[in-house]
Order: sequence, then structure tokens, then C-alpha cells
Amino acid sequence: MGITLRNVSKSFGALGVVHDVSLDIPTGDFAVFVGPSGCGKSTLLRMIAGLEETTAGSISIEGRDVTEVEPAKREVAMVFQSYALYPHLTVFENMAFSLRLKKTPKAQVNDMVQEAARILHLEEQLQKRPSELSGGQRQRVAIGRAIVRKPKVFLFDEPLSNLDAELRVQMRLELAKLHREIGATMIYVTHDQVEAMTLADRIFVLKKGVLQQAGKPLDLYDDPHNQFVGGFIGSPAMNFLPGRVVARQGGMIRVALDGLGTELSAKSDASVAEGTAIKIGIRPEHLVPTEGGFEAVVDMAEDLGGVSYLHARLATGKDIVVELRGRRENFDGRKISLSADAGEVLLFAEDGSRLR
Amino acid sequence: MTSLRKFENGVLTIGTFAAAALWIFPLYWAFITSMRSEDRVVSKEAGVLPDEFNPAAYIDILWNTNLVSWYINSIGTAVIITFTVIVSGMMCAYAISQMRFPGRRILYGVVLASFMVPSQALVVTQFILMNDMGLINTWAGIILPQLIVPVVIIVYKQFFDAVPKEMREAVVLDGGGDYTLLFKVYLPLNWGITTALGIITFIMAWNQFLWPFLAVTTEDKMTIPVGITQVNDAFGVFYARLMSVALLGAMPVAIAYLIFQKKVTEAVMISSGVKG
Ligand SMILES: Nc1ncnc2c1ncn2[C@@H]1O[C@H](COP(=O)(O)OP(=O)(O)O)[C@@H](O)[C@H]1O
Ligand SMILES: [Mg+2]
Repeated sequence: MGITLRNVSKSFGALGVVHDVSLDIPTGDFAVFVGPSGCGKSTLLRMIAGLEETTAGSISIEGRDVTEVEPAKREVAMVFQSYALYPHLTVFENMAFSLRLKKTPKAQVNDMVQEAARILHLEEQLQKRPSELSGGQRQRVAIGRAIVRKPKVFLFDEPLSNLDAELRVQMRLELAKLHREIGATMIYVTHDQVEAMTLADRIFVLKKGVLQQAGKPLDLYDDPHNQFVGGFIGSPAMNFLPGRVVARQGGMIRVALDGLGTELSAKSDASVAEGTAIKIGIRPEHLVPTEGGFEAVVDMAEDLGGVSYLHARLATGKDIVVELRGRRENFDGRKISLSADAGEVLLFAEDGSRLR
Repeated sequence: MTSLRKFENGVLTIGTFAAAALWIFPLYWAFITSMRSEDRVVSKEAGVLPDEFNPAAYIDILWNTNLVSWYINSIGTAVIITFTVIVSGMMCAYAISQMRFPGRRILYGVVLASFMVPSQALVVTQFILMNDMGLINTWAGIILPQLIVPVVIIVYKQFFDAVPKEMREAVVLDGGGDYTLLFKVYLPLNWGITTALGIITFIMAWNQFLWPFLAVTTEDKMTIPVGITQVNDAFGVFYARLMSVALLGAMPVAIAYLIFQKKVTEAVMISSGVKG
């Protein structure tokens, strides 16, 4: 196992920031910690790096318990959001810094830096200073500094958030390629679920310091453990509507939608009593215009060509999003009737937990 | 609008010239005085314009005083003071700014408090102390009391505090300790302020009068500012000679400043151009 966390917690004084997190990341995996800002992602990453002390629990890297090991001896390398390049050193010296500290022979330093520069297309920039580089190049130098150390684990803390949108997409692809080329275990922290979905072998969703769910991106998308994960993963976000259980039979639950005068069926074996208040979750692409569904008025239609997003309002005043593909008519201001297939309707209890 | 601009510019230029003249005049006056014979300096004919190029005062100073010793004493003590103050101040500031140890805040409070004590207030105690230690009329006696420059620590601390935390963490992950951090990262990142503090400390040490005046009684151990007092001893005031020593005494500092001034600007630009 690449990295194992067991019941890891962190408090700053009285403030609990990470609560009882246990997780496993197989060697060579690209893991992503995702969650809203302030949920403790960076803190968890910094604990793995050894930059923050662990209040409780244990952290192992490649089977070795490193909970009490100092950062430099954990064989991890970190790429910071601000890059943290040494501004007074050239690109070459930035990448060679850790090797020089280890008193690596000169020829070997040169080889290792050249190799990293080749992987990152920085051969031409080696004699420049960070201030002479573009944002994307600085980012690469920061990654290069990690690569030359040949660490067991790469840690990235929102490394792309200082780049503009286009460059971010490009660097994302390069990171994915880099992972394939190097094959090391990587942990990547982001608040952007699109980055998480595109990069991850395995996503860990955090909220208020508690691990909500771990799994492959599409598993999280199709089968969220709770309302938070359902709403956080996927863009545009999942629609949630309140309702009440009216009938339960044969693996189906019928739900009357509050204030809409309609009922929807959902596939579920959950044992919920009739009359229980619950929430249903439907992804935008699973809402389809059909006769006899619930009605909504389209406020605004975003037509992107292949796909259209209808931002619509229900009779209860709630806003929902509908995704349509291959439709050419303009829905602006129109009243539509919506429904969803029973297999695509997810049920959540009032407290947000999933009813399967 | 444009004519008003021109007028403003004109006024500003004249004002600047006036201020510059005010500043330069004493230097100019010292220079032409030093180039006159002692008789001419005090005669009625001595006007504002230079009228004589007589190096007699300089020659007299070089041959008949301990000027060379004074130079050596001034340079030696000032260099040692500057180096020691900068290195120890930097290390102390690093510890206060970056290391976590009990009493850190109190230590910084003590530094701040000592900043507020005027050095003249301590002169008597220092003299007694140096005398008890047998250091009167030695370089050590001149140097030791001048090594306490709290402002260097305070300035360095502010600059070290401003270095991003992630820079430090990157070094820690790379396997660097406090010496690596200080000498390979924090110091190079702050070359600008180091050069500036170095120049200021050097000039302060060079110009120091009161303490070296008390700590030294034999002519061959004097620094230049103290040596100047020896020029006008028995036979009244020799203006030309006085001015020539003063100019010779000021020269090394002026030259050092001119050389390093450019370096300061460069260093400041290097360390600020990289933040973004
Ligand atoms: N050194 C610290 N001292 C006190 N509180 C901290 C410290 N570092 C982080 N926190 C708090 O911990 C919480 C999680 O922070 P962080 O891990 O940076 O969140 P994220 O990276 O998910 O945005 C925040 O509420 C933050 O204010
Ligand atoms: Mg963060």
C-alpha cells in the first residue's frame, strides 16, 4: 500500500480540523482530495508531508509508520500552490537544491536535473531565474524540483489554481501524462471537482474534516454515499427535491414531490415507512421533458451547441437545471413538464444519508 | 494647463537646486578652505570663489600627524563592527522570527526595549566596564560597546517574517536545516536590506565620536573623527588642515556609499521582482 491513514485527526488548539480519517492509497495511484475550501484538505496533505503534527492516529508510507518521522525523511515531495521557488536561484539550481543538500556528485546532479527538464520541457529555461518565466513554466519548475528527488509520494496542493483557465486544462493533461510516465504515488488536493474527476484514479471527498466517501470518480458520480457527495461531484450539480414516501413495493419507492402535485418512482430497497419525509436527487442529464411530469418554467437556456442547460423554476420556487442533448428548439420562457427514469432517481434521508 | 505645468516644474527645479546648493555649500567651503594657506583662510581676501590650489595642508597632515594609523584604526574597527553586527543581528533575528522556543517573545521585547535606550546614557558604565577589563586604548575597547545595534535585529526580523511560509517548508522538505535556511535562502532573499544595513552600520561606526574619544587616549589608537581633534592643539585652530583631515576622513565612506548604492538598488530589484 502506498499510503495508509488510520484514524487520523488534527486540531489547532481547540479547533478540530480533521476528524478520524482512515484511508488507503495503493502504490502508484493518483489520489485526489476534494472538498470545499476550508474542509481540511491542505491540512491532511501537510500532515502526510510532516509539515503539521498529527494530533491522533497514524500515517504510513509504503508500510513504514512515519507519524513521528521528520518531513525530510518521509521521502515525499510537495508542490505548493504558490510554487515556493527560490527566486535568487536559476531554474537549474532550484531543481538541484535538494540534491546539493544531499551532497550528490556533480555529474549525477546534472544528469538528474537534465532528465527532469526533459520530461517537463524546460531544457531551454535552465539558466533563467523564476522571475523570467511564465506561470506555467514556474509550475513546471516546481514539479521538476519534486521529480529530481525521486520521492515515494508526490503531494500537490492546488498546484494549478494560480494559472489561467486554458493553461490549467493543459497542465492537467500534462500532470496526467507525468503520472503515467513516472508511475509514483501522487496525492493531489483541489476544491475543483472537475480537476478531481479528470485526474483521479481515486477520489476522497472531504467535508468539515470528515471523509465523506472514497472511490473511483464514476462510482462517486453514479453512487454517492450522501447528499453532499451527490451535490459536490458533477457539474452542473445534482438537483434535490423534497418529498414524502407514499408507497413501497417490489424494489420501488413512490415519492410524492412536495408542492408539485406529482409522484416519482425510484428504484430502492430501503426500508422507509410510508409518510417519511425524504429528498430525491436527480442529475440534470436525467431530467427529461415528458408529458405528465412536474412542471417548470425555463428562466434561461444556455445553448452550447451539442448540449443545452435549461435553468428552470418549479412551482415551489425552487431552481433546477436540466441538461438536454441534440435539441435545437429554444426553451427560453417556456413551460416544460419533466420526469425521470426510476433507475436514475436517488433517495436521501432528511439527514442527507443515502437510502439505497 | 500646460503653462501651469511648466511653471510648476520650474518652481520645483529651482527649489531642488536651492536645496542642493544648501547641502553642497559646506562641502565646497571645506574643500576650498583646505586648498588655501592657513594665512589666507583667515585673511579678508578669502572669498567664496576658489583662488588658491595649495596642497600644503594635506602634505602637513600626511607627514606630521598619525593620519595613516587613524585610517587603519577607523577601517579596522568599522569593518569588524559592521561584519559582527550584521551576522549576529541576522542570526538573532532569524531565531526570533523563525524558530519556536520558550521566551521568544520576551527576548524580542528585550531587543525592542534596548532600542529605546540612548547609547550616551550608557557611556559612563561602559567606560568603567572597559577600563576594568583593561580594554582602554585597544580595538576591542572601541569595538565591543558598538556591537549592540538592536535596530538591525528589528529590521531583519520584519524582512524574515515577510518570507512566505511555503518557502521555508520547501527547504525543510528538501532536507535543509536552519543553517541552510538562513544562509542559502533567507539571506540571499534579503541581500538588498543586508547591503543597506551594512552601509548604515559602517557609516555609523565610522562617524562614531563620543565613545572612541573616551575609550582612546593615545594618538596612535585613535580613529579619524577623534584624530581630527588633535590637529588644532597647541597653536590654535588650523582651518585648512582641519578641513583637509575632515575631507580625507569622509572620503572612504563616500566612496563606499557610491559603490554600494548601486548594489543596493540592484539587490532590492532582484528580491522584489520575483514575488508575482
Ligand atoms: N496553522 C493553523 N492554525 C489554526 N487553524 C488553521 C491552521 N491551518 C489551517 N487552519 C484551519 O483549518 C481549516 C482547514 O484548513 P485547510 O486545510 O487549509 O483547508 P482547505 O485546504 O481544505 O481549504 C480552516 O478552517 C483553517 O482556518
Ligand atoms: Mg488548501
